[in-house]
Amino acid sequence: MKRMILKVLGTLFAALIAVIMFLPVLIIIGSSVKSLPDISSYPPKIFPENFHFDNFVTVLNTGNILLYFRNTLILIVGNVVGTLFSSALVAYPLARMNFRGKNFIFALILATMMVPATTTIIPQFVMFSKIGWVDTLLPLVVPAFFAYPYNVFLFRQFFMTIPMGLDEAARIDGCNRFQIFTHILVPLSKPIFITIGVMCMVSWWNELFSPLIYINSDELKPLTVGALSVFKAHFQFVTMWNLQMALALIMIIPPILLYLFAQEYLVEGIKTAGIKG
Amino acid sequence: MKKRKKKFDIVPYLFLSPWIIGFIAFSGVPILASFALSLTSWNMSGKMKFVGLSNFKSIFQSGSTFWGSLRVTLIFTVFSVLLTIFWSLLMATVLNSRIYFKKMFQFFFFLCAVLPTVALGFAFQLMLNSEIGIINYWLKAFLGISSPPNWLTERSWSLVTVIIFTVFTYGTGQMMLVFSSALKEVPRDLYESASLDGANGFQRYIHITLPAISPILLFNMVVAGINSLNGAFSSIYPVTGGGPDGATRVLSLQIYESAFKKYKMGIASSQAIVLFVIALIISLVQFVMSKKWVHYEN
Repeated sequence: MKRMILKVLGTLFAALIAVIMFLPVLIIIGSSVKSLPDISSYPPKIFPENFHFDNFVTVLNTGNILLYFRNTLILIVGNVVGTLFSSALVAYPLARMNFRGKNFIFALILATMMVPATTTIIPQFVMFSKIGWVDTLLPLVVPAFFAYPYNVFLFRQFFMTIPMGLDEAARIDGCNRFQIFTHILVPLSKPIFITIGVMCMVSWWNELFSPLIYINSDELKPLTVGALSVFKAHFQFVTMWNLQMALALIMIIPPILLYLFAQEYLVEGIKTAGIKG
Repeated sequence: MKKRKKKFDIVPYLFLSPWIIGFIAFSGVPILASFALSLTSWNMSGKMKFVGLSNFKSIFQSGSTFWGSLRVTLIFTVFSVLLTIFWSLLMATVLNSRIYFKKMFQFFFFLCAVLPTVALGFAFQLMLNSEIGIINYWLKAFLGISSPPNWLTERSWSLVTVIIFTVFTYGTGQMMLVFSSALKEVPRDLYESASLDGANGFQRYIHITLPAISPILLFNMVVAGINSLNGAFSSIYPVTGGGPDGATRVLSLQIYESAFKKYKMGIASSQAIVLFVIALIISLVQFVMSKKWVHYEN
């Protein structure tokens, strides 16, 4: 009996935390279907008096919002393809070959994970502007094809769990090292490909800093950057809270769906990345 | 184990080549170039002028905005690290205790970590709005606070707001997951002998659980410190944009403004160097710590 009461109390406490953590999402959901006067009325309420689903229609027809979507999708596809391909290739020798400088290179990869993006962004910006890539999507996609340290690390950790005997057997069967990679390692590593793919999707759906710096043209902005300015540009002097919240709802649905359907991959990947060191 | 002389094998380096190129182009050269640029005065379009260390002299002049930014960064980092460590450990502890609906609670606890800070920032701006925000209404109606703070427009409160906001960002969710798996690894028999000694739940937590996970605790603090330097931009910019009047302008925002609003590349680079040095110090601390506590299997 005492155990059960404790369990109920614990659950109530967990519910309290859940309410706090869910409050911003609740605010977004509730306000996204309110009218503007409803949001400004006092006392404020979480849920609307009348439902205004037309907010979503207005949002999708405002300015370049559909283009922002397209741009975010381009960034996601480009980065997922680029990083899966290049990071897996780079991780392969680090996990399964012996060569000079291996430990040094691995240490260097770990070290570059710690360099704040703000430290390298200025020379990178200068470099990309010299080759005329500023205000294009290229500086946001091309670097992905040169292996992100984070993902190299995750691939390496996964590759190390696959028995070396498989490589030996394949070599005896006449596979060269590239074939070992494509025929043995890649098919066995599907979970880590999905994990990194999902993590990369989420992080580029949310990415703000680099597009803010490289993109000036409105029609090239991704959703995150566009969302910050679109309503200010189209409805001067009035904060369109209802439209902002409707857009915010649109922006949080894809990560929620990814989280629901790929939970084990996403959670596992983020956890491993957190323990890395 | 076998020792044999091998001739030079190019294949591993071929596989590594994307990283080697990427490292040179996007990390190595830019870091060196940052140092070089920090010694110049340059606005992107005109001529670059070598000015020695005068950028550093000017940013460290007493009363400069950079000192203000350093101060904000320090406060933000210290308090957001303490708060997010406490909160993520609390959530992990709750998820690892006897409660109903664990799966569901994990979903709610972690959800905000994967959402865009831009969208969450909109929500914060609305719910903390001093006229129509629901938080101040609740503070008045339920707690009887007659003049609740202006969360976004008062200097000191805006810093509090962005610190609270970090609870809803990626780093906190990640630390919760790490704590959660660390808590699962605390040996059961430690608890059993303690219950025989008559320790209650809270005493067990303080005397057994916390010491058992202390390496992860310290480790997470350093990770949180780095995260807070790296992630500060995306968690502050959408909420306050660095305002009001620079009250939440941390280093990364300061660098962003100097470089990409004012195009003072030399000054911005010298500020970036300072950020780099701070991150380096934190990383070194972590490196020493990970030698002690984290083991890579090789």
